[in-house]
Amino acid sequence: MTRRQKAIAFFVVLCVLLVIAALLLNISWVITNAGQITPIIIGVVLFGLIIAGLIVYTVFLVLEIKRNEEHDSFINAVTHELKTPIASIRLYLETLQSRDVSEQRRREFYDIMLADAERLHRTVDQVLKAGVVRERPKAVIRGPVDVGALTDECVGLAIVRHHLHSGAIELDAPRDRALVVSGDAEELRTVVSNLLDNAVKYSGNIVQVTVSVAAPAPDTVWIRVQDRGIGIPKKQLKRIFNRFYRVQARGLRNIKGTGLGLYIVRSIARAHGGRVFVQSEGEGRGATFTLELPRLITQ
Amino acid sequence: MCAESMLTRILIVEDEQHIADGLRFNLEAEGYEAVVARDGEQALELLLKERRAFEVVVLDVMLPGKDGFTVATELRAAGQFVPILMLTARGRPEDVLRGFESGADDYLPKPFELAILMARLKGLERRRRWNERDVETPGTTQETYSFEGRTLDFSAMEVRAHGKSYRLTQMECDLLRYLVRNAGRAISRGTLLEEVWGLHESTDTRAIDNFIVRLRRYLEDRPASPKILLTVRGVGYKFVAPEPVKP
Repeated sequence: MTRRQKAIAFFVVLCVLLVIAALLLNISWVITNAGQITPIIIGVVLFGLIIAGLIVYTVFLVLEIKRNEEHDSFINAVTHELKTPIASIRLYLETLQSRDVSEQRRREFYDIMLADAERLHRTVDQVLKAGVVRERPKAVIRGPVDVGALTDECVGLAIVRHHLHSGAIELDAPRDRALVVSGDAEELRTVVSNLLDNAVKYSGNIVQVTVSVAAPAPDTVWIRVQDRGIGIPKKQLKRIFNRFYRVQARGLRNIKGTGLGLYIVRSIARAHGGRVFVQSEGEGRGATFTLELPRLITQ
Repeated sequence: MCAESMLTRILIVEDEQHIADGLRFNLEAEGYEAVVARDGEQALELLLKERRAFEVVVLDVMLPGKDGFTVATELRAAGQFVPILMLTARGRPEDVLRGFESGADDYLPKPFELAILMARLKGLERRRRWNERDVETPGTTQETYSFEGRTLDFSAMEVRAHGKSYRLTQMECDLLRYLVRNAGRAISRGTLLEEVWGLHESTDTRAIDNFIVRLRRYLEDRPASPKILLTVRGVGYKFVAPEPVKP
């Protein structure tokens, strides 16, 4: 039992005992005031309020303890994600400073430091973004965005960033017409990039991702990212968009992240009047994320 | 002092490839032989298969699968006492404490200074050599202390009490030795951290308390009401010497 589980057990037991005490007091109140209607009614109502209050209080307390726990694991993950690249950059800088390093090695070291700087930048960006979407959920600078072109751009970027071969992420978008939504291109780019990063990250050794852009109805646009990776256990499907939530499964233990990516995706989708949903047949069977946005009908 | 006839072999247990490669490069530049293990299972396999294969282990905590704490605990439980330096992003006092409790000999939070890491590795390696020499030539130093049915054997790193023997970690051993040598004097937690373990003062001084709790289990008849390892309120700890029995 962890310290938090103990705390939860303690408060639940305390609540039960207090409710029992209140009930006993209530009963004795009724007995001592037998025959007098007004005090009995007032007493029962007040005791009822006390009991209800106790239960509500305990429920909130337990929820808060659980949230605290998620927050802690988030702090751990972010600490790791921030400190690891800093440690690496520092290690290589000190190495370059204090040792004779061949020209070829020197170049390798520069590449490594650049990759670490990029990783650091992504983590910082994500944490800042999560703060923004939480504080100002409705602040979207709107303009017409061609989602086909935007998705194409994100796919190209993901291929470069994850050092994939060009066929690893396939894009299926209508060539003859542009599907346009009203929104903030930068935010939508974040959404698609986050979905693509996840698809690659949770793909295992063989990355095979299909991205499709389509209009399932005249007034709706779908961007769908489908991977054939490690999948998501059914029970956890609903919670993966929660802030700080990270999927717990055996194959996942070496995949690092902050638990913010999908929370940002959902927040931005909602701010655009859309939604995001996921389908997965379970562990080992891949996952499909669909971003649904209202289509802007252009004349 | 005789020169090392073989290269010192260091095992780096680290899943972050960049850090593992950077460490290996530096260790090799210093004349060590460095091997990288990517996860805890691999490290355990390497360290338990051939016990003297490595002189020092650099162990990350957040590893895929078995984490560093588990790896250290399992190594110690299996009687593998190779010096371990934990290197990790988790620098909170409770993490440091947990590292030492699981059997680490030193703990360095990331990001670290390269020169400090190297110095600490050299320190661990040097101490290992000294310990080996002590074992090879017993009796050269006063390394045992006996009282009331208990024997503290610093060179063998164990406490023998009423027929049972408790294995001490390097850190427990150093702490106990220091307290015994300064028997009768109250010693502050800060002094213990600095003098015994070479940690700087900012480290959480409560780290000591848990070590004392454990040492009491080895030394006291009733650990809850200690007679030998006393707490001096507001200061630290004191070892009260009972009449020693000469070995």
